[in-house]
Amino acid sequence: MMALDGVRVIDQTQVMAGPTCTMLLGDLGADVIKVEPPEGETTRGMEPRLGSGHSAAFLAVNRNKRSLALDLKDARGVDVFKKLVATSDILVENYRPGVARRLGIDYDTLAAINARLIYCSISGFGQTGPYANRGGYDLVAQGMSGIMSATGNEGGPPVKVGVPIADLGAGLFGVFGIMCALRARRLTGRGQYVDTSLFEAGVALSQWEATEYWCTGNVPKRLGTAHRLNAPYQAFRASDGHFTVGAANDKLWPLFCGVLGLDHLTRDARFDTLAGRVRNRVELEVLIEAVTSTKTRAHWLARCEEAGIPAGPISTVPEAHADPQARARGMVQEVDHPDAGRVKTLGNPVKMSKSPPRLRKAAPRLGEDTRTILRELGYAEDDVAALARAKVIA
Amino acid sequence: MNALTGTRVIDLTQAMAAPFCTMNLADMGADVIKIEPPGAGEPTRREGAVQKNGVSGSFLAMNRNKRSLSVDLKQPDGVAVMKRLARTADVFVQNYRPGVVTRLGIGYEALAKEHPRLVYCSVSGFGSTGPYASRGGYDLIAQGMSGIISVTGDEDGPPAKSGIPLSDLTAGLYAAYGILAALEYRDRTGEGQHVDTSLFEAAMSLTVWESTEYWATGRTPQRLGSAHRLTAPYQAVRASDGYFTVGANNDKLFDACCRAIDRLDLLTDARFAARDDRLKNRAALIAEIETTTAGGTRAHWLARLDEAGVPCGPINTYPEALADPHTLARNMVVDLVHPVAGEIKALGVPVKLSDTPGAVERAAPLVGEHTAEILTELGYSDAEQRDLRARGVV
Repeated sequence: MMALDGVRVIDQTQVMAGPTCTMLLGDLGADVIKVEPPEGETTRGMEPRLGSGHSAAFLAVNRNKRSLALDLKDARGVDVFKKLVATSDILVENYRPGVARRLGIDYDTLAAINARLIYCSISGFGQTGPYANRGGYDLVAQGMSGIMSATGNEGGPPVKVGVPIADLGAGLFGVFGIMCALRARRLTGRGQYVDTSLFEAGVALSQWEATEYWCTGNVPKRLGTAHRLNAPYQAFRASDGHFTVGAANDKLWPLFCGVLGLDHLTRDARFDTLAGRVRNRVELEVLIEAVTSTKTRAHWLARCEEAGIPAGPISTVPEAHADPQARARGMVQEVDHPDAGRVKTLGNPVKMSKSPPRLRKAAPRLGEDTRTILRELGYAEDDVAALARAKVIA
Repeated sequence: MNALTGTRVIDLTQAMAAPFCTMNLADMGADVIKIEPPGAGEPTRREGAVQKNGVSGSFLAMNRNKRSLSVDLKQPDGVAVMKRLARTADVFVQNYRPGVVTRLGIGYEALAKEHPRLVYCSVSGFGSTGPYASRGGYDLIAQGMSGIISVTGDEDGPPAKSGIPLSDLTAGLYAAYGILAALEYRDRTGEGQHVDTSLFEAAMSLTVWESTEYWATGRTPQRLGSAHRLTAPYQAVRASDGYFTVGANNDKLFDACCRAIDRLDLLTDARFAARDDRLKNRAALIAEIETTTAGGTRAHWLARLDEAGVPCGPINTYPEALADPHTLARNMVVDLVHPVAGEIKALGVPVKLSDTPGAVERAAPLVGEHTAEILTELGYSDAEQRDLRARGVV
């Protein structure tokens, strides 16, 4: 048995933040029904594509879901949708605020059909406040939340976090809110409205930077790979590239000096306290790199591991996938897709001893489950055929 | 009532990832009891660089809404107090390196034997299995090993990490997701279980887009500053007084963007005709856009683009982001009073629940602030409490 067996989720989402949220529910066993327009969700048209012509982007965040292709601009489509709502526990949408209301599938309308429904909206900025109606992208949220101001190298052009952290963070806070609402429903018997956004996720992930600013008045700046409050804690150059080391505290610092053969630095007044190392970080980096740049990354990583100093390579994405720890933890998995063949997907990062997240199936083909779902909802074969002829379903 | 009212969480955590997990649970109403060694408390309390009236800002940021019980786990009677507490708890969260809790007699097996309904969560650098299980892991190391650093930074500059510790924070979020899933499972089966996640796995899961791109194309994703590898224009562009972000990544938005900056000529330029052309000729496209945008202020262009419905925004510093009217309208900054630090600020709850909202009600506790209160709840008599105190157990 899985944690969310028997929980039905209507997935009215596109692209990344919303689909990530519902994918995390699907991984736990929920029956996630992706409701798509008859021409398919926009991500199905996005690059890059696999040899089979399928969008890899779509496959990436829609595993473990079923697909129902339904025209919500047709009243008969909305009727089908409302029947589905009556049998569902959760709905997730990530339209711009106002669109769901225009389609007749906003929270108030659907809660009147099913008072136990948990309805989650994920948008650029949230449903209220001065920017509620603006379109929001990960890039825009990274810029406005302060994240970009702390990312990159000082003096260089602006840099965003390379992974879409505002999108993914919003998906994670969305699923957290939904799971909390499920807990609350056990107590109250009622569903509720859950509302989060890319912008708020970006702000909420800035706990450290916000507290630093509030406590010190210093504006957090970008420092490449270095840390504003710890040193050495950054990437250093080896003869064949960079590697990371975190040896900032008073226990690890002398060990790292030992690895480098720079024991005298532990007695150097510039570096003998953490505050000193942070203050004189640039000088320290020069002294350390004079040594590290003479040997390979593998050499230094082996030495650091022997000494118990946290350190690691800067892996490319393919190197990360091939890493023995990634393999051991099941972070790269494969699943059969009816057209695309065997496709890879990332594993769920949470391991559970009794009800682990599971990869049950690849992302669905457009409308793959339309007929099955309509039958589950009690539609007779004739009605299904009529809806198909009218192009209300596909 | 909050969503997690009545859920008790034992928080045996330090630093950031796991404290962020339990903080999110506390924000939603869980009774989170932080277990700290008597005297100085959790090591994060002693971080010196960011302080308010001698109180660690890092500690304040991650421990609001929690209670503190100080107990010495190196004494058998201390472990006994902890076990008595565990019998009343729903969730136990710890982030020691694998092996430490077993040595202390409070590993999953030991606690599950006495309390099979307990949900036990471990958050570590690399997870409790696999070849790196016993290594120390920091956010920096996980960012490097997961591939995130390889896609962050200027194309030609030195490496850069995500300025926010996203491996720490998302490991905390994934842990909260796993815990809530385990509570759902417990409600159905009566059984607790072990939930196990890590910084490394959380970071890898954030490369979903990059991993997919690699699998689909065989190309290793590279860093591109603020730009996107698969779409353009979607990046920071220069104004007369700095940079702003703009995401005009489809034909409709590109049209609107060119009109907003009065560059209709770009719409008929063959180099930029289709999405793929704009991506292929990104450098030329941005150069063309910047010849115009560099002639006006950020505020000017943001107003024009916003009016045209093109997603865009400033690149805010933290003081700007935290004072933004939208940040305030979404209650993302909360005022609190701490007995020593005085008036402090905290970030709000990024996911809004309509019926059982989360709330930031109390500042982080003093060491052992709630020891007597909690011991009394557990049924320890005044005499027993005096005895435990006299022996330095609590």
